Amino acid sequence: MVCDQFIVRKISKIAKMKDIIYKQEFNIQGGDFINGGEASCKISTILKEIGIDPEVILRVAVASYEAEMNVVMYAQQGTIIFILTPVKLVLQIEDIGPGIEDINRAMVPGFSTATDEMREMGFGAGMGLPNIKENSDVLNIDSETGKGTKLEIIINLP
Amino acid sequence: MNHTIKVNEQKCIGCVTCMKSCPTKAIRIINKKAVIIDERCIDCGECFRACKYDAIEILSTEESTLEKFKYKVALPSPVLYSQFGENVLPGEVLCILKEMGFDSVYDEAVICEMTSMAIEEYLDKYRGIKPIISSSCPVVVRLIQRLFPGLCKQIIPIEPPREVAAKNLRREISKKHNLQPQEIGIFHITPCSAKILSINYPETMGKSNLDGAVPINKIYNNLMMKIKTNKKPIMIQHHSNVSGVGISWTIPGNEIRNLKFRTVAVSGVIDTIEILQDVESNKLKNIDYLECLICPHGCLGGPLTVENRFIAKSNMLHLIRMYGKKRTVNTNLVRKLYQEKFFSFEHNVIPKPFPPLDPNTTRALEKLKQKESIMNQLPGYDCGMCGSPDCKTFAEDVVRNDILMDKCMFLPQAGDYE
Repeated sequence: MVCDQFIVRKISKIAKMKDIIYKQEFNIQGGDFINGGEASCKISTILKEIGIDPEVILRVAVASYEAEMNVVMYAQQGTIIFILTPVKLVLQIEDIGPGIEDINRAMVPGFSTATDEMREMGFGAGMGLPNIKENSDVLNIDSETGKGTKLEIIINLP
Repeated sequence: MNHTIKVNEQKCIGCVTCMKSCPTKAIRIINKKAVIIDERCIDCGECFRACKYDAIEILSTEESTLEKFKYKVALPSPVLYSQFGENVLPGEVLCILKEMGFDSVYDEAVICEMTSMAIEEYLDKYRGIKPIISSSCPVVVRLIQRLFPGLCKQIIPIEPPREVAAKNLRREISKKHNLQPQEIGIFHITPCSAKILSINYPETMGKSNLDGAVPINKIYNNLMMKIKTNKKPIMIQHHSNVSGVGISWTIPGNEIRNLKFRTVAVSGVIDTIEILQDVESNKLKNIDYLECLICPHGCLGGPLTVENRFIAKSNMLHLIRMYGKKRTVNTNLVRKLYQEKFFSFEHNVIPKPFPPLDPNTTRALEKLKQKESIMNQLPGYDCGMCGSPDCKTFAEDVVRNDILMDKCMFLPQAGDYE
């Protein structure tokens, strides 16, 4: 299967990290398309202020935006925890929502469970998780159907 | 860093208007005078528009520079055609401009049409990350370099029409009049300060093909007088050459005509910043080409224009209707030139991000935390009395050690912090 090339690892508990130098939490409201995307915008701003490499910022911007919009689109509510350590940047996205039934299928470009309504708004092209994967160095996903999803995106700093 | 915008200290009274209008927070009021921070300024001209005291000045090419050249050429932006009412035609504007002391004048519109075709060629073969962003507004290029450095590689590596036109003219004129290329001076008649900057300090090549720029508002009175008193029959030599497709470049959304590509056209600084944020998070990946123009209504609303931009647009639409949408350029010629890289950048746009809070990332993070805690103490009125444009920027200036905390008139006074 196509998805075998992805490094999708199940995580039971989001790892506790040492040497955190910066941490910020953002709340996301499911269904709030008006403010959806603001958290990832704030994260980009922070990264620019501390002088992170532009290429890395672009990857973070894409990954965090897709992850945030997934929460907005599918879940009831969620949080993004943004963590910086000297060597890497971590985004932990946790939501209360429907969960992902089949993670391997969700990683296939073009696969989507979006409603027609979402598609009309330009979302739901089935590129969310594949895009996140493409822009991160490590992607850990843990999901329980009917409960919610945990996503851990790790991007190494040059 | 070099700029074309300067503060006239005699005229500046130190009000906060320009500082408030600046989209990149590049102005501070220090000792009751506006000061422009070099690394933050993108030469958009918003402060020039905002200032009520004429204290913001735009440097343009001196007349003495014009005199240095043996053969002087004027290359007006097509925006010039929109400045004199709907009954004054491009041919007349060009002829009268020539009488003002140029050896020849050329219409840029034909080159606009050629550039459109070159852009379409590029888009046709492009398979990378979308959207591709137009390079025609020099402020947008600088804005991307500073605020969205990761998007530099999405700027189309094709020179805007003014540069292509000048390159072409120098070649043609030196051949026709048997002149050395350096004896020819080509001057852009420009609606904007940033184009002057892009000529003096180009971002995509060693030296601009243009030799200088004359602001439209600087020659406007003179041109208008001559147009009013003109009794001679106008030579219409240029008239037939004017390209309707080309002059429509002045109206946002018309850089490419091929409906196969999806274009988004944005004008105005706030909307441009917003849309570039969207591009950064890959929200516009289904758009092929993004035209961003920093001035409202694009170049028709340039800070150095005279006519009201709505009227100018109406005049322009009138001209476009008149000249029609027929292509005037030979497709094969453009293809050939495109292949020869005649339209291409010498080098790509280099990212020039704003300086971080500290060169060292760990220290920058500490400062970021400090900044957040300072912001919590500030009232959030954004009054500007401290000399920084808003509370957030004030907090940033404090952690950068550019300003003292006690400048905020709403906080307990200096002694309390020692």
